[in-house]
Amino acid sequence: MAITFEHVGYTYQAGTPMATPALSDISFTVPDHGYLAIIGHTGSGKSTLIQQINALLKPTTGKITVDDFTITPQTTNADLKPLRRHVGMVFQFPESQLFEETIQRDIAFGPQNFGLSEEEANQRALDMLKTVGLDESFADRSPFELSGGQMRRVAIAGVLAMQPKVLVLDEPTAGLDPQGRQEMMTLFNRLHQEQGLTIILVTHQMEDVAAYADEVAVMQAGKLLTCATPQEVFNDPAWVQSSDIAVPRAAKFAQQLDKRGVKWDQLPLTADQLADQLVQHWPGMGAQHE
Amino acid sequence: MENIIDVQHLSYRYQDTDGRPALDDISFTVKAGEWLALVGHNGSGKSTLARAVDGLLPFSEGTVTVGGIKLTPETVWEVREKIGMIFQNPDNQFVGATVEDDVAFGLENRQISRAEMVPRVKAALDEVGMQTFAQREPGALSGGQKQRVALAGIVAIAPDILILDEATSMLDPQGRRDMLALVQRLREEKHLTVISITHDIDEAASADRVLVIDDGKLVEEAQPAEIFAQGERLIHLGLDVPFTAKLKQALQDRGITVPTGYQTTTEMEEWLWQSLSNT
Repeated sequence: MAITFEHVGYTYQAGTPMATPALSDISFTVPDHGYLAIIGHTGSGKSTLIQQINALLKPTTGKITVDDFTITPQTTNADLKPLRRHVGMVFQFPESQLFEETIQRDIAFGPQNFGLSEEEANQRALDMLKTVGLDESFADRSPFELSGGQMRRVAIAGVLAMQPKVLVLDEPTAGLDPQGRQEMMTLFNRLHQEQGLTIILVTHQMEDVAAYADEVAVMQAGKLLTCATPQEVFNDPAWVQSSDIAVPRAAKFAQQLDKRGVKWDQLPLTADQLADQLVQHWPGMGAQHE
Repeated sequence: MENIIDVQHLSYRYQDTDGRPALDDISFTVKAGEWLALVGHNGSGKSTLARAVDGLLPFSEGTVTVGGIKLTPETVWEVREKIGMIFQNPDNQFVGATVEDDVAFGLENRQISRAEMVPRVKAALDEVGMQTFAQREPGALSGGQKQRVALAGIVAIAPDILILDEATSMLDPQGRRDMLALVQRLREEKHLTVISITHDIDEAASADRVLVIDDGKLVEEAQPAEIFAQGERLIHLGLDVPFTAKLKQALQDRGITVPTGYQTTTEMEEWLWQSLSNT
C-alpha cells in the first residue's frame, strides 16, 4: 500500500486556548512495498505523524492517502474501519497492551473482532506465533509469565494477525537486549521482503536506518526537514551537523578517514560498505581486481 | 584500596522447587571508587545479583558484605543506607507530586529536618542540572530528565554506592550519553562506587572492570577491552558487537589481515590510515 501525505498539519486541542501545533505542512510519499524510517529528537512530532496513518489522529489541515483511502479533517470514524484493518500499529512497549488469559486468545482477539470465527481466529493465532518465532507450546500459556522480549513478540503477533499491508513501528526495539533487537529487526525485514509489507519505522538507531530503510524522513519541531535515501541524507556532513542528527557509526568513521585524505566514491553507511571500499584502496588488493 | 563490596559463594533460588538456581555460587569484590559493569543476556541473573547486594532478596547461601557490614536481616537498613539504585523505567520509582518532593522523599524517610532538607534538595537538583524543574510534575518530563531527577534523589541521600539497573536503556542516544557523563562526573566528585547493569557497549566501556553473568553463574571477569575483543560472541553475552570489531570482521572476510585484540575507533583509524599509506 502506498502512502501519501499532502500538506498535512496537526494541532493538538485545535480551536481552544490550549492549541499546540505539532505538525505543519508535511508532504511525502512512501511507495507500495516501501520501507521508510522516521528519525528526529524526542518531541519532534514522529509519534504524532505516524498516528495520522491510520487516523488515530486526523489531520487539522491537508490530506493523507493510503491506497484508495483518503483521510481529511472531515473524515468520519465510520469510514475508517477498513483502513485500520490494513494498517497495523505497533506502539512503544506494545507488551503493555496484552490482556488475555492465554497467548492464543490474546493474538486471536483482533481477527475475531473483525469477523473471523473463533476457530479461524485461533488457527490464525497459531500461525502468527510461528511467524514471530515462538512455537505452539506457548499457545496456552499466560502472556504475563513471559520475558519482556517474548511478550513483545506476542503483542506483535497480535498486530500481524490482522494481516495488515502496512506495518507502523514506533521504536519497536526500545529496551530489548542487542540479540533481541537484532532478531526483531530481522523479523520485520523478512515480512517486508517475503510478504511485501510496507514498513514505517520510527527509530533512534541509525544503524537500522542504514541497514534496512529505502528512505528516511527527518523530523524537527513538527516539520519535515527532508525525506530522501539514507545515502543522500547522511552524505552532507555540514547539513547533518546543522540539523543535529546522528549518523551511522560507519559513516562517522569514514568521515574521520576522509579528513586524513581517504576519498570515498560514495559515503559508506555500514561496516560492509566501508570494507568494500577499503579493499579498493588497499595496497596490493584493489589493483588485482582491475 | 579497600573492598567496599565483598560477595562470597552467593546462591539464590526464586522457589525451592526450581531446578536451576537464579544465582549459583557467585563470588566477587568491588573496590571503593571502582566502576563495575555487570553484563549478561536477559534472564542471566544480573538484576537478581544487584538486588541481592541491596538486601532485596532473602538469599540463604553465601555472604554479602557492604562497607564492612555483613548483610543480615538486622543490618539490612544500615546496608541500604549505603546504596542508591536507579532502575530502567523511571516512572516506576516516582513518588512525589513535584520534582522537589520526589527528591526530598529519601531524606524524609531518614528523618532529616526541614531546615537541612531544603538546601540538600536544592543542591542535589543543581548537581544534575534540574533546578529549574523543581516545581514541575515528574510525569511530564522527558525520559532523560526523569533519570536526572532519580539521580538527584540519590545525590541527596549521599550513598557510597550507586547501582544502575539498565538505567539508560530507555533513553535516546543523546540522553544516554548525557546520563553517562553525569554519572562519571558525580562519581569523581562524590567518590562513588558505581555498579552498572547494562547491554550498552558505551556504558560497559566506561567501567574499570566487567563481570559477565550467564545462567546465574559468574563466567568471566575482565577489562572492557578484553571483553570487547570477543567479536560476535558478545551478542550471546548480552552486549552489542563494537563497530571496530564489525569492521575488522568485514575486512577479514575480504581477505585482509587484521590486528588481533580490541581496537578503539581511534586506534582502528590509525591502523587503517597507516596500512593505506603503505604503498
